[in-house]
Amino acid sequence: MRVRRWARKRQGVDDTTTRLRPGRVYILPTGVGFIFGLMTFAMLLGSMNYNNNLSFVLTFLLIGIGFVAMHQCQRNLVGLELTFAGTDPVFAGQSMRFRIAITNQSRNARFGIRIYHDKTESDVHDLQPGESRIFTLPIVTSRRGWMRLDRFGIRTLFPFELFRSWAWLHMDLGGLVYPAPSDNAPEPPPTRVAHGHRQHDARGEEDFAGLKRYSEGDSPRHVAWKAYARSGQMLSKQFAGADTSSQWFDFEGIAALDVEERLSILTRWIIDADRTLEDYGLRLPATEFPPAHGDAQRRQCLEALALFDGGAS
Amino acid sequence: MRAQPRGTDGSLLVSLPWTIGALGVSLAPHVPYLALWISAAVVGCAAWRYIIEKRRGILPSRWVRGGLALVCFLGVFGTYSAISGVGPGSALLAIMAAMKLLETRKRRDQFVLLFISIFLVMSSLLREQYLWSLPYLLISTLIILTAWLRMSAEKSETAKQSFATGGRLLLYAAPLAIAMWVFFPRLATPFWAVPIDTSQATSGLSDTMSPGDISSLSMSDAVAFRVRFDDEIPDSRDRYWRGLVLTRFNGRTWTGSEPRIDSSALQQIAARGDPVSYEITMEPTRQQWVFAMEMPADWSLERTFMGPQQQLSRVTPIEQRIAYKVVSYPDYVLQSELSSLARQWYTSVPENGNERTRDLARAMRSDAGSDTAFIDAVLAKFHEEQYFYTLQPPALGSDPVDRFLFDTRQGFCEHYASAFAFMMRSVGIPSRVVLGYQGGEVNPMGGHLIVRQSDAHAWTEVWLERYGWYRVDPTSAVAPERIEYGARGAAIDGVGVGWGFTAPSKLLQQLTMTWDVLNAKWNEWVLGYGPDTQKGFMEWLGMSDPSWRKMLLTLVISVVSLILVISGLMMLRCRAPAKDRASVLYDRFVKKAGLERRTGETALEYARRAKSHGTIPESTVSSVTVAYLDARYGPDDDGALGRLKHAVAAIRVRATA
Repeated sequence: MRVRRWARKRQGVDDTTTRLRPGRVYILPTGVGFIFGLMTFAMLLGSMNYNNNLSFVLTFLLIGIGFVAMHQCQRNLVGLELTFAGTDPVFAGQSMRFRIAITNQSRNARFGIRIYHDKTESDVHDLQPGESRIFTLPIVTSRRGWMRLDRFGIRTLFPFELFRSWAWLHMDLGGLVYPAPSDNAPEPPPTRVAHGHRQHDARGEEDFAGLKRYSEGDSPRHVAWKAYARSGQMLSKQFAGADTSSQWFDFEGIAALDVEERLSILTRWIIDADRTLEDYGLRLPATEFPPAHGDAQRRQCLEALALFDGGAS
Repeated sequence: MRAQPRGTDGSLLVSLPWTIGALGVSLAPHVPYLALWISAAVVGCAAWRYIIEKRRGILPSRWVRGGLALVCFLGVFGTYSAISGVGPGSALLAIMAAMKLLETRKRRDQFVLLFISIFLVMSSLLREQYLWSLPYLLISTLIILTAWLRMSAEKSETAKQSFATGGRLLLYAAPLAIAMWVFFPRLATPFWAVPIDTSQATSGLSDTMSPGDISSLSMSDAVAFRVRFDDEIPDSRDRYWRGLVLTRFNGRTWTGSEPRIDSSALQQIAARGDPVSYEITMEPTRQQWVFAMEMPADWSLERTFMGPQQQLSRVTPIEQRIAYKVVSYPDYVLQSELSSLARQWYTSVPENGNERTRDLARAMRSDAGSDTAFIDAVLAKFHEEQYFYTLQPPALGSDPVDRFLFDTRQGFCEHYASAFAFMMRSVGIPSRVVLGYQGGEVNPMGGHLIVRQSDAHAWTEVWLERYGWYRVDPTSAVAPERIEYGARGAAIDGVGVGWGFTAPSKLLQQLTMTWDVLNAKWNEWVLGYGPDTQKGFMEWLGMSDPSWRKMLLTLVISVVSLILVISGLMMLRCRAPAKDRASVLYDRFVKKAGLERRTGETALEYARRAKSHGTIPESTVSSVTVAYLDARYGPDDDGALGRLKHAVAAIRVRATA
């Protein structure tokens, strides 16, 4: 831990694109490396004892391989370029997948590269000359909010797993964690007739506004069957000021005491509503999102929930 | 204990064939020395394991493996009585490898197999070191390294790539290894003495001699020792290489005494004539006897002493090839006085047996009148009567001397020496049998002498008043060419005979001689690189008064500087390529535009900003941008680079007001 802090202090915060300089690539022997060292030492003693010049050759060749492996292991990382390639928001409890693009701009291939954070490791990949590749680091999240990854490492065991060479990177990495959707959320509040003028005619239909592609959940009564007969395409009639079931999810309207619990329930409602393509609005103590549906609405609402700071406005 | 999952998924197919290959290569030199069932067990286990992986089968259960291991280890202990030494050691390693193969499920299990392979290679080097041992060791190391790389290789990586990487790393390691090999100080004495291989038959001389028991003499071409004379090579008839002396005869077998020191032995030699000095490079015999031409007066080998019968021996058996210098006097008088006790000892024969020979000897002695005349008469008998020199004499039953002298009349040196010495003793002339080598083949290319196992010889010494111990070689009376030309008869057509052809013998002769020279040099410079040679080499390199401190220092310095060089080479390979020409020109354009480029901004985005910035006319920005994009991403040959260069050069920035 102290070493890491020292390294952090030494290196400072890295840019989101960082090229590995030799000075920041550390190296230590692995367990196999220690065994290999002991083995070569035993072989050296044996060769000395028997004064056997060919087994001296073998021993020194292996020792030489050890030295070369050490340098090769460090060189395997030096010069690589690491770039933060973003994350996608997740719900608390899921793994946030940090993407790091690693580019090998040198003329020789790099082998067995992986990134890691504590015990979490990415897959191992080779990088051919000029190749760029995305490595994914799945970090388990526990709390909603802005999740920061202030440090991750890149490491390699190439060529013989005798040495482990690694570098710590301190980039400004982060991603958004939505609250975990509640498993036992109460029923959402009943659909309320929203604002807007509506003129019911005798059949209870509104002003025809146009056609849109049919999506699941549309009332079969709204399907343009004539058009379907003609083209084979399912289309739904759209009506202005449609009687779409729009809902308000209100933070204050939930009986649960705990703020986090309420946020979880709200999250669950939003996900469900989004799935059924219903309009929904979100009302938080400080902000309000009018009813709508779609990716933008979902993202805005969940973001607001993720970053909700207790309602102290 | 939880049983490990035993299924395989074929993921080891990338590396398993290489690991098995590495094991095979490292085991190969041991096969002739191992019990057949051990090699068969390893091959069987390897094939079994490979098929399991290939068919995604399951590994044998813990009980099967345990039972198999128990059987195999008991088998090793049963086959080899000892467990130390290269023979049993390599057998154990081989069995361990076979057992490990059967439980190899994970990638990392293969590390153990590779380490075992390395130890097997090393133990094969301890057993024997030939000229081809070096290429063998390089190739097996390369295969082990490749297998090692295959273990962590991605599926997409071909074996060829791993092989090339392994070769490249080995190439980097080679200069380091050479530097360490040259400068690492060699010890004169081992820390502890371990028999290298107890299971192997000795290749030297037998300690006893029982003519008639073995009915044929092997014609082994193996080299016993090589000799380089400082001056001219003495005549073949003077080249008697004294080994051990047999003094007791029980009617069937001649035996000698254990090597022991006799400080007065050297004083018993009275040299007459000029000394001959030479250096012997002797192959390991696992015996204590040290060979030298008669009669050695001075030798350079440590812990080596002369026994009471002037035989040389070392305190410890000769487990390794050794080189030593000797000064000998071919013309000498040995022990002019013989005590009555010794006289009695050297004339003792069993009371009974071989009666016909005794009678014959007594009769011939009384006919001859003097001891010397008697000796001549016996030699003349061998020469003139129907006695034959053959390497495949018939076996002799009881009273072997009688049977040989009167019935079979066929034999080689041992038969003649034994019969002669027995006849001498029968009439009271002190006599003994000397075992050693005789003659040797001159290698005209290397200028040295090769003495082979087939040159092994037995002759006699009789003690005569005024002459002392006098060498008599009865074989020379029967087959003078044996002494003149060596055991192989005529040297010229000796080479091909074993293979059944003699026609291209001249060429073959030349090839064998060249091969021998190579071997001699190899032994001298590589295998024989010991404390003395190293010191000489250091002095030749210009190191004054080489000590192990100086050598270690040089070792460290040279290794460190080599590592720096190698590291620099690797650095060159890791360096990012220089910026391409188009980027350089574009950077110039950006500078002229006076508008900094944002990180991650594409050329088109930048062009948009540059146009609105207004330092450079919009048309110029467009043409530069198009030319730049063409030069970087377009086909190579459309002259975009030229256009870019032109466009950038044409920009004249207006002096900003």
